[in-house]
Amino acid sequence: MPGPAAVAVRLTEFFADIHLVKHVFYTIGHILAAVVISFLIGSACAFLPFYYPPARLMIHGRLSPFLNSFSGIGWTLLAIVWFGINDITVVFAISAVLVPFAIINMREGLDALDEDLFEMGESFTRRRFRRFVLIVIPSLYPFIFATLRISFGVAWKVALTAELLGGNTGLGYLLNLARQDFDMPLLLAVIIIIIAFVYSTDRFVFVPIQARLARHHGTG
Amino acid sequence: MEPAERTAKSLAPKPLRTKPRRARSGRPRRFDWIIEHLLAEGLIAGAILGWWLLSLGLPDYVMPGPLTVAEALVQLFIDAEFLRHTISSTVRVVTSVIVSVVLGWALAQLPLRYPIAQVIVHDRIKPFLNSFPSVGWAILAVIWFGTSDTSIVFVEVAILTPFCLVNISEGLRELDRDLVEMGRSFTRKRLRTFFKITVPLLMPYVMAAVRIAYGVGWKIALVAELFGAETGLGFLMQRAQTLADAATVFATCFAIVLIFFLGEKLVIDPLARRFQHR
Repeated sequence: MPGPAAVAVRLTEFFADIHLVKHVFYTIGHILAAVVISFLIGSACAFLPFYYPPARLMIHGRLSPFLNSFSGIGWTLLAIVWFGINDITVVFAISAVLVPFAIINMREGLDALDEDLFEMGESFTRRRFRRFVLIVIPSLYPFIFATLRISFGVAWKVALTAELLGGNTGLGYLLNLARQDFDMPLLLAVIIIIIAFVYSTDRFVFVPIQARLARHHGTG
Repeated sequence: MEPAERTAKSLAPKPLRTKPRRARSGRPRRFDWIIEHLLAEGLIAGAILGWWLLSLGLPDYVMPGPLTVAEALVQLFIDAEFLRHTISSTVRVVTSVIVSVVLGWALAQLPLRYPIAQVIVHDRIKPFLNSFPSVGWAILAVIWFGTSDTSIVFVEVAILTPFCLVNISEGLRELDRDLVEMGRSFTRKRLRTFFKITVPLLMPYVMAAVRIAYGVGWKIALVAELFGAETGLGFLMQRAQTLADAATVFATCFAIVLIFFLGEKLVIDPLARRFQHR
């Protein structure tokens, strides 16, 4: 157990070394890619029962509980077997874990959609696409942001595991190296970087955006 | 709202809406029911069929067929050697759920008793625990406690406690102040008002916390067991992966899904119904 001073020293060394800082950006890249992919897939799965109600049981009764209870490690280990140890494995594992979160949250948004507003839209135009862009999407803004925020938070946790087991870049990989060398200062330094990053993105990026949205839409 | 809070809320299963969003005219309900189930079961059948077709062309260590995996899955529940791993994982998850609910409850009660602790608990401890990476806990626990049951339960408790804290403090915030006040006018014994009023009012939130902790607990059990265990499903999975035994990796995943559903349907759902507000 190293003292705070040793960790602080290691932390400054960390930011001086480009080869170490590089890993921070790799992790961010993995996470962003996975959040975007899972958001697209998850929204598609949530929109399907919205426009075709009989698919409700298929998506919400079968697909999303299954994905929700399939463990992240399982995905990672399988991805290693399928894709090898590389970035694809990491992004695949994170996306697989995030998809159910995206489905559940987007569904909540679609369920909360204002029926009257929708009906009003129907009386104005018969073009589905127009209604979709002008009514459905804007009403979903708060939920889209909530989804992205949750995805981001969960992605951080999964990303480390995925990188640790199946990656050759990223902070998780670095954690693994530190663990193997019993380099406790580096280990704690990486953990501190992660905590600082997660907390500050939530605090300084997501909270202000959500507050803005809340003012516009009157919801939280 | 904290991310865990939103996640927590969204994770709580809600009954599926049986009525379609916009009622379709001129079509009997029964027909809809059939189509719904046809699609839903069709997805499962299609997935298994696709999996089987895929596995035909690939070697077993890349993509084992459904039958191989089913065999491995049955082994997990029958073979004494494998059953030991399954049971030890289950026991750990249950223990850590109980411990973290108690711990989260205590942390949630603290600011109520001593308002000065509000900032410490909600603005310092909660975000810290929430953003601490679970792998970080797992590695640290192995270094601190070695490979033992203690280290695994420690990791799981460390990860689950913030979820419980968030849910139970939500419950405490919604607590009916008038009822608590009424209780205080009847007795001055804090313990008595706590057990007679606070606990029953809080039970639905505690059950929500248990449900979420149980769900998350199974997910992270594997992470915890990956490094610091010589028993358990995570250990089994790790070993299978190094032996390129994809069938066991699959089977372990499905075993967890199965145990998770059984626990939720047989234990948590009845308990939650029992403590529901009438």
